[in-house]
Amino acid sequence: MKVLIIEDNQELARNIRDFLGREGYICASCETLEEAKEKLSLFKYDCILLDIGLPDGNGIGLLNLIRTEHKDSNVLIISAKNALDDKIIGLEKGADDYITKPFHLAELHARIRAVYRRKNLGGASIVEFNEISLNTDMFEARINGTLLDMTPKEFDLLLYFLVNKNRVLSRQAIAAHLWGDYTDNLANFDFVYQHVKNLRRKISSAGGMDYISTVYGLGYKFNSHKQE
Amino acid sequence: MRLTTKFTLWYFGIMLVVLLIGGAIVYYEIQWKISRVEVARHERLNDIIAQQIRDGGDYSGHPTRRRATITRIPADSVPRGISSYYTRGVEWNPEFQGREYRLVVTSFYTIGDVHYRVSTYSFIPSFYQLLPGVLDSFKWILLLLLVLVVISGGLISKYILAPFKRTLRVIQSFELKQKDGIRLPGTSTSEFRELNEFLLKMTDKVREDYRSLKEFTENASHELQTPTAIIRGKLDLLMESDIRDEQAVLIAEMQNALERLSRIHSSLTLLTKLENQEYAAEEPVNFSRLVREGLASFHELMQMKVLRLVAEIEDKIYIPLHASLADLLLTNLVSNAIRHNEGAGIIFVRLRREGLVIANTGREPQVPTEELFERFKKGNPGSDSIGIGLAIVRQICDMSYFDIIYEYRQGFHILGISFLPRQAASKLLQNLSVPLQKIRQEPE
Repeated sequence: MKVLIIEDNQELARNIRDFLGREGYICASCETLEEAKEKLSLFKYDCILLDIGLPDGNGIGLLNLIRTEHKDSNVLIISAKNALDDKIIGLEKGADDYITKPFHLAELHARIRAVYRRKNLGGASIVEFNEISLNTDMFEARINGTLLDMTPKEFDLLLYFLVNKNRVLSRQAIAAHLWGDYTDNLANFDFVYQHVKNLRRKISSAGGMDYISTVYGLGYKFNSHKQE
Repeated sequence: MRLTTKFTLWYFGIMLVVLLIGGAIVYYEIQWKISRVEVARHERLNDIIAQQIRDGGDYSGHPTRRRATITRIPADSVPRGISSYYTRGVEWNPEFQGREYRLVVTSFYTIGDVHYRVSTYSFIPSFYQLLPGVLDSFKWILLLLLVLVVISGGLISKYILAPFKRTLRVIQSFELKQKDGIRLPGTSTSEFRELNEFLLKMTDKVREDYRSLKEFTENASHELQTPTAIIRGKLDLLMESDIRDEQAVLIAEMQNALERLSRIHSSLTLLTKLENQEYAAEEPVNFSRLVREGLASFHELMQMKVLRLVAEIEDKIYIPLHASLADLLLTNLVSNAIRHNEGAGIIFVRLRREGLVIANTGREPQVPTEELFERFKKGNPGSDSIGIGLAIVRQICDMSYFDIIYEYRQGFHILGISFLPRQAASKLLQNLSVPLQKIRQEPE
């Protein structure tokens, strides 16, 4: 997947590039609207990460250009202002999703994948890994074809793991993914622990392999290389 | 005390003093005038008597002689330089059987070679006889003045203070956030003009300060988010490098602190936005649906903590609130009810047209419940939460003019939000009397 990162902060852009690079994405980045326009006129991208506050203007303005000339690209807005207006305007102008700083890179990745699935894979929104198969439209998870009885949060969690395979997912990142930002630490780690535990139990009891392992001190990891 | 009342009272006091002094003046003036007239009359009478002596003849028994004394005096006792004098003193008036002023006018005449002293007298009203009349008239004057002052005071102050009252109204409706400056009505009263000028300057300054402060806050929050995002990203990347266990623990601790920082930050930013009224309600939101959805989304957490939910939600309840805020309100309330609950506890939710009541079992708060609405106040100091959820809830209620109350009784934390304007939330709790004991005993 080709990704264009339009972000004026080089460090942040590098974080994203590093993270997505490991997923095998081809990332290009630029820091200003002008550069972004130049890049967009020359290349095609599957996904564009757009920071709204750029040194030479508001990133929202770029959305029109993207929507007329890059219909197939997915646009994800990155904003430091968690302002509802930005969000609504951004989504109205044709952005596909919106993420606010500071975000977990795994979360960004999950969003990119989600947008990509929605737009590029048509109706067949199936995420598969070995014996696990998730239908993101129906919220159905199957192990070797057997339907798993899962709660929505568990489904969400498994999808998050599958998208971020072989990544260490911190408990904070998981909590933020499952419960959002504003819940004043409701999403405390007991709940994360419980969810992960339940998920692992359900997969194992359905005959799936226990890919999810605890990473000491940090969180959890979906280990795709795990052998029985 | 009202300005008009004050003015009226002062005027009345001044009038009273003026009238008292005036009364004394009037009294003495009358007394003096009566004496003068009386003296003049007696001098004329004395002249007439002298003329009668000159004419000769018997006038004894004549009306002129009734109160006259005529004495022949030797030449040397005739005073020089004056032809008459008078004396005055309180004496018994046998005619009216009362003590009155006796005015005696004595004149000296030389008729032929004989010197005569002619004295006539009469009684005039004394101090005590005049006083009631004077007082009486002044009483009426005072009354009339009082009525006039009160009426005119009301009318004139209404007219004169009108610009002041308009200014007051403008100031009362002044808000820091308003975009335009205040507009004050013109006035011909220089004091009010000064006041208006001052207010205009002050409000402009305040608005300007507020705006720059807000800008600073916004910029600060904006600028802080990026470095936080960088740190978080770096930690995410660091986690995946080859690290030892003790390093992992360090990273986890950093993650925790960073998480807290970012939560505090986003909550404070949100509060600021709420205070700035950035989320106006566009149309009433179906709160019944939101409550049901909200409770459903927390279903799993409740199950994990083995909490029993008792919900009584009326259908089709619409409240004027931005949908995101309604959601936020619910999320915070329900998550609080879950977090502060103990195992096998109860959550009770009742939604009616009048308001929303959420009650949950839990430990007794260690600070007064009212204080829990303040930022960074926690019922239990040991908890992980940052203590800002209820501040957000209250802010949302305040901006929507919903009254909110937090009580703790019979082992339940009870939060009531009244949707009806001008209905106190405490009243709501009375009206929707929560059957706490019954809920507790109710079998599942």
